[in-house]
Amino acid sequence: MTSPTDIGAALQQDGGEGGAPEPFGLGSSPLRSDALPKALGIYPYAADLWAEGLLWGAVLRSPHPHARIRGIDTSAALALPGVHAVVTAADLPPGPDGGPDGAPAGPIVADRPVLAAGVVRHHGEPIAAVAADHPDTARLAVGLIAVDYEPLEAVTDPEQAFTAPALHPDGNLFRHLPLRTGDPDAVGEIVVEGLYQVGRQDPAPLGAEAGLAVPRPDGGVELHLSSTDPHGDRDRTAACLGLEPDRVRLVVTGVPGATTDREDISFQVTLALLALRTGRPVKMTLTREESFQTHTSRHPALLRYRHHADAEGTLVKVEAQILLDGGAYADVSAEALAAATAFSVGPYVCPNVFVDAWAVRTNNPPAGRMRGEGALQACFAYESQLDQLAARLGVDPVEIRRRNAMATGDPMPTGQAVTCPAPVGALLEAVAAEPLPALPVDDPDAEWLLPGGPGGAGDPAAVRRGIGYAVGMVHMLGAEGEDEVSTATVRVSGDHATVICAAVDSGQGFATLARQIVQTVLGVSEVYIAPADSDQSIAGPSARGRHTWVSGGAVERAALMVRHQLLQPIAANFGMSVELLQIADGKITSYDGVLGMPVAEALEGKELWATAQCRPHPTEPLDESGQGDAFVSIAFCAMRAVVDVDIELGAVRVVEMTVAQDVGRALNPRQIEDRIEAGVAQGVGLALLEDLRTEGGVLQNPSLTGYRLPTALDTPEVRIAALLEERDVVATFGAKAVSAVPAVVAPAAVAAAVRAATGLPVGRLPIRPEDAVAV
Amino acid sequence: MLPASLDEAVDALAATPAAVPVAGATDLMEAVNAGRLRPAALVGLGRITELRGWRYEDGGTAVLGAGLTHARMDRPDFAALIPALADAARTAGPPQVRNVGTLGGNIVTAAPAGDTLPVLTALEASVTLARAGASREVPVSHLLTGLDPVRPGELLTWVRVPLLHAPQVFLKATGRSGPARATASVALVLDPARRAVRCAVGAVAPVPLRPLEAEAWVAGCIDWDGSREIDPAATAAFGEYVAAACVPDSYGAEGAWEAVTEGPSAAAVRLRRTVSVLARRALGRALK
Ligand SMILES: Cc1cc2nc3c(=O)[nH]c(=O)nc-3n(C[C@H](O)[C@H](O)[C@H](O)COP(=O)(O)OP(=O)(O)OC[C@H]3O[C@@H](n4cnc5c(N)ncnc54)[C@H](O)[C@@H]3O)c2cc1C
Repeated sequence: MTSPTDIGAALQQDGGEGGAPEPFGLGSSPLRSDALPKALGIYPYAADLWAEGLLWGAVLRSPHPHARIRGIDTSAALALPGVHAVVTAADLPPGPDGGPDGAPAGPIVADRPVLAAGVVRHHGEPIAAVAADHPDTARLAVGLIAVDYEPLEAVTDPEQAFTAPALHPDGNLFRHLPLRTGDPDAVGEIVVEGLYQVGRQDPAPLGAEAGLAVPRPDGGVELHLSSTDPHGDRDRTAACLGLEPDRVRLVVTGVPGATTDREDISFQVTLALLALRTGRPVKMTLTREESFQTHTSRHPALLRYRHHADAEGTLVKVEAQILLDGGAYADVSAEALAAATAFSVGPYVCPNVFVDAWAVRTNNPPAGRMRGEGALQACFAYESQLDQLAARLGVDPVEIRRRNAMATGDPMPTGQAVTCPAPVGALLEAVAAEPLPALPVDDPDAEWLLPGGPGGAGDPAAVRRGIGYAVGMVHMLGAEGEDEVSTATVRVSGDHATVICAAVDSGQGFATLARQIVQTVLGVSEVYIAPADSDQSIAGPSARGRHTWVSGGAVERAALMVRHQLLQPIAANFGMSVELLQIADGKITSYDGVLGMPVAEALEGKELWATAQCRPHPTEPLDESGQGDAFVSIAFCAMRAVVDVDIELGAVRVVEMTVAQDVGRALNPRQIEDRIEAGVAQGVGLALLEDLRTEGGVLQNPSLTGYRLPTALDTPEVRIAALLEERDVVATFGAKAVSAVPAVVAPAAVAAAVRAATGLPVGRLPIRPEDAVAV
Repeated sequence: MLPASLDEAVDALAATPAAVPVAGATDLMEAVNAGRLRPAALVGLGRITELRGWRYEDGGTAVLGAGLTHARMDRPDFAALIPALADAARTAGPPQVRNVGTLGGNIVTAAPAGDTLPVLTALEASVTLARAGASREVPVSHLLTGLDPVRPGELLTWVRVPLLHAPQVFLKATGRSGPARATASVALVLDPARRAVRCAVGAVAPVPLRPLEAEAWVAGCIDWDGSREIDPAATAAFGEYVAAACVPDSYGAEGAWEAVTEGPSAAAVRLRRTVSVLARRALGRALK
């Protein structure tokens, strides 16, 4: 752990005052530029925004998970002094039949109304919104809106969704994806079966949704939001409001935590609508409870598996049924389902695979994007199956995985060959070779080590240690034919460079990486990263680990073009080719050392600009038997979890997680380690603590007391066994995305370790204390 | 209002009956933020230094100020005095909360999972409730059960706790390593002078529960004159006894008020197991 003095020293070093020079370029680990302001509390977030004469927004939400709206009476709210506007679905552009339809929107399918029209489909669905001159007045007015509901039966069991009446004109099935490859009649000597269940994890960002909308003189609106997809959010907002996209400008403010998506579309359209309606700036900050109600969570899943293997444990056939609960609206359920299906066997080779996977609509909270969506749920199931297989054969869990491990060139069940590095075996070896942490000693001074926490009820005599292994995989970039592209502009003038790119640094560190790229290509140390907004060229969402590759690639290309413009005239002058010149420490030098010219001098007062795009090779959709080259590339990770379980109370403490990850190339080792720690923390949270519970569709614990996020005490020591650097030749710099795969693998590893400690099957995440009692 | 003495505080409350006292505000602000409470006025107790310490009375009693913070009660000098209360204070939330949250606030909030409450119940503590010109003494259990609640305008000033000079233990199950509310807790104190074991179970009911029969039974199993040894089987049986006494068959079942005929609910079985382990471990530690 880092002590406060370490942090102080690191910050001082970054400030460069008298300390060591700042690390520079790719492969080094400069401190992120937002670290100091965030640590000092001066980094501006959306909730800190202010505009002269602003009004405050508030939203009325449904108390029912499913109800018909027979009428809405806003007169009492409108009559309240200080209220400037009350809006409902009727204030949005009408639907195809001329009546209000709530202007439905969504990332793939436009099925989620901005404001409910006629029917509410989940607890907390927005129905109306108010703008008033004080936040309390706005909330009071919300309470005065009278809605006449006719409660309807809520479909909350995803297995009932198939036969239940349609909850939406689009029906209850978001997608059915069958995958069939090989011989359906193949059988193995050993068959293991399991039923696995994953609860609802919430991204629970540190900062709740907040934003400011400012009306523009041209009838458009400017939105200040912590968006992670400025162009997508702009386009969807404009479409919902019936405006041309260029009438909406989206300015990205500091993002207070995002695992991928941030603000939901309803929030920002409502905010914009209130500003347009009142002609005044409008600010809105959601409460924590609303935040839990409105943003999407991880898909709860039910997975039924049957593995066939021969007597040596080599996989013969895998059969699976996967059911994802997508909640009330489609969001990215179809995409999550593709990942769950394609990775249903995991990083193993198996000739015969038969999977049926469904994502369905229910009256539960909508599910969406969260690190490793789909891939995570499948990883818990296939890794649990491998543990069962190992137990049945009496083989070491590492050995069973090694025997089946996929390698570069092997086919996935989708028929796609894994052409990128797939060092699964090497990752396993790396974690297995690390020394194990010391056993807890029976010593009162070390009491804090026990499950249950400091001052807890832990008893050393009841503690069992367990060690578990897991390997997993996740794709990077959009899949199944999605157009992946990003654009960046690089400018050099004087002794510094500027990067203009709409790729949002949501905390993942893209701004730091962009700086490193330009430093490496252009040799200038001072690189300024312009804030992102939708007037810049499109860069796409901060999701699926795409910015390192796509936007990093665009930045690199633009920087190379600037470099060429800079060196071309000099090379011509000296009669040598550009390749013989290099830039380092702000100086241009030739291979023979004859030339040594400062960059600033070479520029002769000019500014050099270049804009470039990066568009990785295309992919194709999975066909009706789940076949196709659907993914650009895949990242792998292996983990070893060490847990202590108090088998009488069922308390689990994760002592240590050892990680080996396939990173392609470590562009910034410290940032990679940070991302791995973040993924482990999130994965441990899902494995042991985090569960957004519903009862009949109604959220039971939408607060940070009720929804248990891992604290520093719940988060284990993370030991990095290896960052394997086998370049992915098609990726920018050969680097793979690093954030999602640790979150995918960690829950499976923790479950395996609890299984080892207790001898219990552990088929459900999160693991509750009662699931770990073994007496 | 920020009175600097007890007298000023009770006068302030008498003058503004709608005012609400506030100590660490860790419970109060939660209620305000959630919109459950809109106090017309606040009387801050933070400046009343006399309430932030303790004194001794008649040799055998400690009189604790309501303003003692959890962090203060966790310090070694206090822990030597009333170990179980120090144990409870140590686990009552994250450090930020324990640095300001107070004993008095914990009692008046009377949350089912309030960590000091089973300890005070097992210790058979009493509290002083003061108002302008008068004060009265109420057993903690009467306060918590609502038999004799805090009346408007009253301030909880002192908590009287007997000094037992014997081992006492507070154990709490939370299901996690980080700070959390108890899913069940057990406070157990030995009273050698009276040859008694007193125990209270927290978080399983709206108020802490005393398993009086189990206490009396186990007191008879202890060799009080010797090394206070006990048969391990008796320790285990005590755990089960306490659990059965404090967790009804119908716990967590739908229509919990109706008699459950099919035996204990699954939730009751789970909670009893937890309570039984806590009680067994608590007794084991106290007699170690
Ligand atoms: C994050 C978090 C975690 C927590 N975890 C725990 C936990 O694990 N265990 C636990 O037991 N508690 C926990 N709490 C609750 C809380 O911290 C404690 O109950 C604390 O002891 C309350 O004390 P306070 O001084 O902050 O009370 P306040 O919030 O100031 O007051 C609470 C109530 O008591 C009244 N009051 C306060 N003092 C007096 C007085 N002297 N006379 C009359 N009335 C008075 C107030 O009017 C108010 O109604 C937690 C709270 C938070 C925010």
